[in-house]
Amino acid sequence: MMGVAPSLTPAPENTAATEPVVTFYVGPLLLGLPIAQVREINRHLDFTPVPHAPPQVRGVVNLRGEVVTVLDLHRVLGLPAAEQTLQTRNLIVFYQGEPVGLLVDQVADIVEVDPEELNPPPANVQGVQARFFRGVLPMERDILVLLDLDEALSLTAEKGGNSRQENTRS
Amino acid sequence: MFDDPELVQSFVEESLEHLADIEQELLLIEQQGEQLDLELVNKVFRAIHSVKGAAGFLGLTQINQLAHSAEHVLDLIRNGQLVPSSEVVDVLLRAADQLRWMIQNVDQSQECDIQELVQQLQQAASGAAGEEAASGQRETTEQRETTEQQNTPGPQNETAQEQPSSQSSDGSASGQEKSASPTPVQSNAAPAQGQTQPSAAGETKAASGQAAQPPSPPAAQKQNGAGGPAPQKPTPRTTAAETSLRVPVHVLDRLMNLAGELVLSRNQLLQQLDTSLVQGGGAIVAGLDRVTSELQEAVMQTRLQPLGNVLNRFGRVVRDLARKLGKQCRLEITGKEVEVDKSIIEAISDPLTHLVRNALDHGIETPEQRVAAGKEPEGRLELRAYHQAGKVCLDVVDDGRGIDPQRLKEKAVARGLISRERAEAMSTREALQLIFAPGFSTAEKVTDVSGRGVGMDVVRSNIERLGGTVEVESQLGQGTTVHITLPLTLAIIPSLIVRCGCQPFAVPQVNIVELVRVRAGERQRRIGRIKEAPVLRLRGDLLPLVHLSEVLWGSQPQATEGPINILVLESGQQRYGLVVDALEDSQEIVVKPLGQHLKGCPCLAGATILGNGQVALILDVAGIAASVQLRNVQQQEAEDAAEEEATAADSQTVLLFTNHPEEYFAVPMGLVARIERVRREQLQHLGGHQVLQYEHDTLPVLQLDRLLQVKPAPETRRLFAIIFRLRRREVGLLVPELCDVQEIPLEVDTESFVEPGVMGSVVVDGRTVRLLDLFELAQKAHPEWFARSPAEPAPEAAPTQYRLLVVEDSKFFRTKVAEFLTQAGYQVRQCEDGQEAWDLLCSGQAEVDLLITDIEMPRMNGFELCRAIRQHPQWSWLPVVALTSLSSQEDVQRGREAGVDDYQVKMDREQLLESVGRLLQQKRRPAPQEEPVPVG
Repeated sequence: MMGVAPSLTPAPENTAATEPVVTFYVGPLLLGLPIAQVREINRHLDFTPVPHAPPQVRGVVNLRGEVVTVLDLHRVLGLPAAEQTLQTRNLIVFYQGEPVGLLVDQVADIVEVDPEELNPPPANVQGVQARFFRGVLPMERDILVLLDLDEALSLTAEKGGNSRQENTRS
Repeated sequence: MFDDPELVQSFVEESLEHLADIEQELLLIEQQGEQLDLELVNKVFRAIHSVKGAAGFLGLTQINQLAHSAEHVLDLIRNGQLVPSSEVVDVLLRAADQLRWMIQNVDQSQECDIQELVQQLQQAASGAAGEEAASGQRETTEQRETTEQQNTPGPQNETAQEQPSSQSSDGSASGQEKSASPTPVQSNAAPAQGQTQPSAAGETKAASGQAAQPPSPPAAQKQNGAGGPAPQKPTPRTTAAETSLRVPVHVLDRLMNLAGELVLSRNQLLQQLDTSLVQGGGAIVAGLDRVTSELQEAVMQTRLQPLGNVLNRFGRVVRDLARKLGKQCRLEITGKEVEVDKSIIEAISDPLTHLVRNALDHGIETPEQRVAAGKEPEGRLELRAYHQAGKVCLDVVDDGRGIDPQRLKEKAVARGLISRERAEAMSTREALQLIFAPGFSTAEKVTDVSGRGVGMDVVRSNIERLGGTVEVESQLGQGTTVHITLPLTLAIIPSLIVRCGCQPFAVPQVNIVELVRVRAGERQRRIGRIKEAPVLRLRGDLLPLVHLSEVLWGSQPQATEGPINILVLESGQQRYGLVVDALEDSQEIVVKPLGQHLKGCPCLAGATILGNGQVALILDVAGIAASVQLRNVQQQEAEDAAEEEATAADSQTVLLFTNHPEEYFAVPMGLVARIERVRREQLQHLGGHQVLQYEHDTLPVLQLDRLLQVKPAPETRRLFAIIFRLRRREVGLLVPELCDVQEIPLEVDTESFVEPGVMGSVVVDGRTVRLLDLFELAQKAHPEWFARSPAEPAPEAAPTQYRLLVVEDSKFFRTKVAEFLTQAGYQVRQCEDGQEAWDLLCSGQAEVDLLITDIEMPRMNGFELCRAIRQHPQWSWLPVVALTSLSSQEDVQRGREAGVDDYQVKMDREQLLESVGRLLQQKRRPAPQEEPVPVG
């Protein structure tokens, strides 16, 4: 995720120095991801459940011939599992060169964010640990929280790894 | 001199190609010794010469100088002035290594210090008859380490000068670690480099990053066929160049993916068109179908490479390592021509290297030890590749000291890997597999050859990641065989789609042995439990059963009324039955990897997309076995092997009881009419016999301690009378204590404990149990009952006229039944199974008046035999009596449908004789002129 760091610090030659960010709701949170990290947003929600997967994994979907893992962001952040509604979307992001789907409650908007205006996240936001976040930005109605994709997704990957070890040892 | 990078690049590629086979060829030259194959030397000479020329042209003086010195030595060998001794070849090999390294790192080549090597080459050239031999040995060992290091890529951050001269054991050890530890460098490197530069070079670099020998590009190898150098008729390089083409690996990968997608699209199209085919559309679809299949195959072919690519390199590894360890070892390689997917070739190299090193380090003994053990001083290491059932097998076989399972167990216990109880319960076979346990090393001390923490567990996980399996077999003192199986390709696999709930899953066909459908009615008979674990009875085998829904979702299998679908699966040496909810069709599926978040799912090998776009997960057959700890079940079975075999062959429900508390007896449950509790005071003596006094009647009773050589029964107030019918009267057997009703295997020992009244003994739960013959017991107690046979319904003719055929797979029962039939006066012929009996009947050689058959038999069971008989024009009249251990209503029904005339319990000789007599009267062989007697 090399692309993330520069997007949050103002590029010297770019005077506007803002970055388009996709915002979406997960439970009580308004989250954001730089648009460069998002491959697409779709409604592929017919997951194939995967046995023995980490609890954060909702299943896999067929994305034009590719088998993509879909994570429930609620579970990743330690919130109760998501309930699917008409607004539920599958946000496909790139994580270490591989597409991963994120289940979100509702996609909100695309906003321009000036990294300079970002505040460091408080110890927790709505009960979710700060380590998942890059920073917060007060908006008109909500507080926009920029998601740290690496942290959010590596956690599950790590857990997956652990469970594998447990399984092979057993 | 570097002003033209393209020129330099093509020099690098070309030179590496020239050097590719040199190592093999030099080793061959060494082997041939004085019986030199001149053409082979010429080939090496030409290769070095070409490198020299090109290097000179580019101004690469160091390469040029080294090549020149090597060329000079080869020239002497070619002219017969120098014998290619081990020492000479050693220097040449090192020169080749150095050349290769310099070419790979061409921009550093000018800074290389090659003087020492050049001197050694000159020394070799001048010492035409091997005077240096005396000092050579020590020097060689030291130089060995240089070679070791050069086998691994020169560390990029070190300067080139340090590289060849650093001979400290430290340096060599670290170099070795690199080559021994299976780093993922190779597999990742190849595609990545393939995108930035022509692939052959990228591939070469990646491959040589792990070991010294770079494979030639795939197309060229295809030309060579066997891949290895053909010593007698070396193929000139020019020919290969004319007819082959270098293609970047990523292009092939892309083609492969596209072919995969095409297969998918074809499948979707076929499903769409299936129902709505227009006239003539069939031919078009068939054409598309065929072309797609061929395309897929052709693309797959491009990725196939002979295993020789990786196997050949071990000539050098074994030679060098053996010398270093002071051992002698002969390497035999078979199956170099076996082709597998490139990705597999790449990935198998590391585990294989580890296994070979292990074999040399721990397996093969020193010459002294070998001689002391009565073996040839020279050890033998065999690498054997072959195809088997759509898989590729690779065996690493040594004739070394073998592995001591006892020591493995102790070590595993000492390291806390397993409990002592578990260790004691382990079979030898299972104990051997302990070497694959994480954190296990058998080496007494850690050497730098093998056993540096990178253990066999890594070998196993690497192989299993490829969808392969690895097992070890060993005979202490005789040697060890490591058996690896690998899939041919990883990309497209034929598979069977099954359902669990409503979700589809794919099972690779290679793992499927057969499909078994157990009808609701057969369930009780075919599905049983051994110590809580469900098993399937399959032709005399007991197969552990796994419910897919249980293993995947942990849900209890639903009790359904319908038939059960079972896939009999095999992975490595494991076999088990997988219960699925439904079977669908077979499909060729394109394997898609699962994302990194799902790497920890042990039961899955990937995913695929079905014709309807649905994702189906691919089941990992070995993973499922591991996750339910199938080994335990299998081990249990192995322990109870004898019992198991017998259970499968035949079993009998018996009533177990004791007479004296230490002596166990059994009677067939089928003979027991009922059991009564009696008080001792009810017993009376009447005319020298014991009887049981009822209110209005008396019952003759038998006591074991009066009839058999047994310890006396305790004088208890209460007793049991096991009551059975004999000669149309009831007889009771008095026993002080009942134990159990149990199904016991009929592995009957007819040697020990045999006396009239005892048929033999069986071992049940570690206790010897005597199986009683009630008939004989009664005869012993009341011979007067048997003086005549008034009760016997006498056949019209004397029994001797009748010829009976007894068909029974259990030898015990067969002889027993034949024995008393013979005693009764019949002529008896015996067959071991239905097939044998059927063959006999069909041969026209046999005269048979009645057939007595067991139900459960291998090859052809009793029902099948009976059905066949009923269909046969000549034998359809034949009376058939079926024998059963304990007749179930269901069996009786099935038997009637098959045409069985009567059912009898196996041990009930009276009933059987009566039945035989009756049937012989009723049914008779139709005389030609007579009308057929209607079946009664």
